[in-house]
Amino acid sequence: MAKHESVSAIIAKCGLAGLLMSGSVCATASAATLRLGVAGDALTVDPIASSDNPSIWTELLIYDQLVRPSKDGTTLVPGIAESWTVAPDGKEFRFKLRADAKFSDGQPVTAADVSFSLKRAAGEKSEWGRFFRPITSYEIIDDHTIAMKLDKPFTPMLNNLAMFSASILPSKLVEAQGAAFFEHPIGSGPFVLKNWSRGQSQDFVKNAFYWEKGKPSIDGARIEIVPEDNSRVLKLKAGELDAIVGIPFNQADTLKSDPNINVTVATVFRVDMVQLNTTKKPFNDSRVRQALNYAVDKNALVKGVLRGNGTVANSAMPVMAYHNTDLKPYPLDLVKAKALLAEAGLPNGFKTTMLVAAGDVTQRQAATVIQADLKKIGVEVELQTIEGSSQFGTTKSGNYEMSLSYATSDTIDPDQSVGFLVVNPERANAYHTQWKNERLNELYAQERTTPDGELRSKMFKEIEVLAHDGAPFIFLYNPSSPYASRKNITGFKVMPTSNYDLTDVVIK
Amino acid sequence: MRPLVSDATRLRFARNGNLQFGLAMLSLLVLASVAGSALVPFDPLDIDFGQALQPPGWPHLFGTDDLGRDVLARVVASASVDMKVVSICVLLPFLIGSTIGLVSGYFGGWIDLIIMRFVDVLWAFPFYVLVISIVGALGPGTGNIYLAFSMVVWISFARIVRGEVLLARRLEYTQAVSVLGYSHARIMLRHVLPNVITPAIVFMMADVVLTILGVTSLGFLGLGIQPPTPEWGVMIAEGRNFIQDGWWISLFPGLAIVFVGITFSLIGDGLDDFLRPKP
Repeated sequence: MAKHESVSAIIAKCGLAGLLMSGSVCATASAATLRLGVAGDALTVDPIASSDNPSIWTELLIYDQLVRPSKDGTTLVPGIAESWTVAPDGKEFRFKLRADAKFSDGQPVTAADVSFSLKRAAGEKSEWGRFFRPITSYEIIDDHTIAMKLDKPFTPMLNNLAMFSASILPSKLVEAQGAAFFEHPIGSGPFVLKNWSRGQSQDFVKNAFYWEKGKPSIDGARIEIVPEDNSRVLKLKAGELDAIVGIPFNQADTLKSDPNINVTVATVFRVDMVQLNTTKKPFNDSRVRQALNYAVDKNALVKGVLRGNGTVANSAMPVMAYHNTDLKPYPLDLVKAKALLAEAGLPNGFKTTMLVAAGDVTQRQAATVIQADLKKIGVEVELQTIEGSSQFGTTKSGNYEMSLSYATSDTIDPDQSVGFLVVNPERANAYHTQWKNERLNELYAQERTTPDGELRSKMFKEIEVLAHDGAPFIFLYNPSSPYASRKNITGFKVMPTSNYDLTDVVIK
Repeated sequence: MRPLVSDATRLRFARNGNLQFGLAMLSLLVLASVAGSALVPFDPLDIDFGQALQPPGWPHLFGTDDLGRDVLARVVASASVDMKVVSICVLLPFLIGSTIGLVSGYFGGWIDLIIMRFVDVLWAFPFYVLVISIVGALGPGTGNIYLAFSMVVWISFARIVRGEVLLARRLEYTQAVSVLGYSHARIMLRHVLPNVITPAIVFMMADVVLTILGVTSLGFLGLGIQPPTPEWGVMIAEGRNFIQDGWWISLFPGLAIVFVGITFSLIGDGLDDFLRPKP
C-alpha cells in the first residue's frame, strides 16, 4: 500500500516536471529525495572516533541517542529513551527505552545495546572517553530499562548522553563485525546510509523502522560534497541541489534576492577567536594579550566580514545557556592598547605570526582585517596560511604564536566549551593556549557537581569574567550560520549545534 | 670611429615590429612597477568596509575588493612585487644553467656525461609538480620560490647552451685559440660564450612567460607571496569567492598576467629575429 502511494506520487510529480525536464532525470531522481550540498565529507561514521563536523553531522542522521537537544537548543527532549529519572543525590540515572524503537535492520533497541554503546564510548579507544567515564556501573533492569550509577554527582551527564558520541549501536553486530561494521553502519536514527562515494556523495534512504511515526517524510536524501562555495551556491540556483549549508556571508545577501530560494540565518553555538600561545613571549604577559583585544575593531568585523550576521564576543564561550550577558566586550581603544603595551615594555610593538586556515574566505578576510588593526599599535603580524586539517595539530604541538580559529559546541550545556576552551589542564589545555587560572579550574570542578540552577549559572558567569580578564584569546565574534533551500522545500533546519535536521523536510 | 650602432642593426630594429611593440609594453610595465604607486591615489592595503565591492568607475577605476581596497592600486603594487620575483626567478637559473651548460659542453667526456644524465633525470619531472612540491616542502616565501625555480629551470638553459657549445667547440676559431695556449677559462668566457649565449637569451624571454604563470599559480595556491602583500595570483584566488558579485577583483590581475605574457612573447620573438638574422 505504502509502496503504491509513493510510486504514484512520483508519477504525478514527474508528469509535471517531465514537461520541463528530460525524462531521464525524472526516472533516476525520485521526487521525494532531498539533495543537500555540503562543503566537506565525513572521515568516519564511528561516533567515538570523530571530532570533525561532517562526520558528526552524518552520524546524527544514522544513529539515535537516549536524549537529544530540542530544536531551539534550550532543553533536552526524549530520543530513544521515552522517559528518564535522576536520583535526588544525582548519582543514578534511569532510562526507559521506547518499546517500538528498532534499528534499521528491524532488530529492537535494547538496554544491552545502550550499555554496550556507552561503555564503548567511555573506553580506551574513544576520543570522548572523559564525557562518559563518570558512569561507573550499568544495571540492566529489563530489556527496555537501564540504570546508570555514578560515584559522585556529574551535572553535564545528561547533556553528554545527547552527544553524537553517545550514539546507540547494535551491540551484536558491532561485536561480530568490528571495524567493518562502520562500512555499512546500522543505527536507529531516521536514515540509513545506503551508498557512500567518498569525497563525492552519500546516499541515504529513510529508516522504515524509525520510531517517530510518519517521519522522516522524505524517502531519502542525497548529500553531495561540493567544497567550492561558488559551485554550491550556483548548483542551488540552478536547481541541481535542493538545499545547501555553509554559505559565505557575501553570497547569502545575493541569494536572498533569488525568488526561488529561502535563506535562513541559523543561530549556532559558535565563537571565533585568535588563540594566543601564552608560553611564548610576549604573549605570556596578560597586558599584551589585553592590548591586542583593545586593538581589534570587532564591530567592523561583524559589520564588514559577517555582514551583520553575528554579535561581538565578550569572552571565549559561545552564546548559550548561562551566558554572561552583563559582561562587556573589549571596546576598540587604541590609546589604552598602546599604554598596555608600553607598560609591558613594548612601546614600539613587536613582530609575530598568525596561522590562518586556507580556503576559507571568512577566515581570510578576518585575518587581513586583524592584521591591519594590530599594525596600528605597532604589532606586525605575518599571516601563515595552513591547511585547515593540520591547523589543530600545529596549535596542539605548541608550534605557533597566534592562530585564528573557532569552536562550536556539540551540546547545549556550556560545560563542554568551558572544558575545551579555558580549563588547563584539561582536554585541550585551554584550547592550546596553555593559559591557566586556578580559580577558574576550581569553578569548573564545582560546576560539574552543582545541580542546574542559579548557583551553577553564577559559576559559569564568573568563569566567563575570568577568561575575559585573562584574555588567552583575542575574542572576536559569535557568528550565525546562513543556509538556504529552494522554495519547494519546507522543514529544513540547521540546529544550534550546527548539524542539520532532515526529519521534518517536506518536498512539494 | 665606428658608430655605436651600425646602420644594418638600426634597419633590423626598424623592421622588427614585434620587438618594438614588446619593448613599448615593457616600458609601461617598468613604469608601473617603479612609479605606479605614486600614480594611484589609493593605498593598496587600506581597508574600508564602506567601499567594499564597488564596481569599476570613479574614483575606483578597477573597482574595489571585498575589503574595500582599491583594485587598481593593488594591481599596480603587484606589478613591482611580481616583476621583481619573476626577474630573479629567471636570472638565477639563467646564470646557473648557462654556466653548467658551458662547462659541460666545453669539457665533454665524463663531466658532460654526469651532468647531462642528471639533467635528463630532472627533465623527467613535470615543471609544476616539481616547483609546487619544493615550495610545499620548504614553506611559502620568496626565498623558497627563488630556490625552487633555480633548482628546476636551470636544466633548460644548460641544455641549450651545451648544444651550442658542442657546435662551437668544433669550429676553427675555438681550435685556433686553443692552439695559442689560452687557458680554458679565457677560451670559454671570451671566445665561446659570446657566440653561444644568444639562444639562451631568447629562451629567457619565453621563460619569463612560464615563470609569471608559475609564480602567480603558487600565489593562487597559497604557496607564494603571502597576504596582504598584493600579488596577482593571490588576488585572483581571493576574488574567486566573489566572482558572482565582484568579477573585477579577479579580472584585472588576470589581464595583468596576460599583459606580461604578451610583452615577453613579443620581445622573445623579436629578439630571436634581431639577434639571429636569417639570411
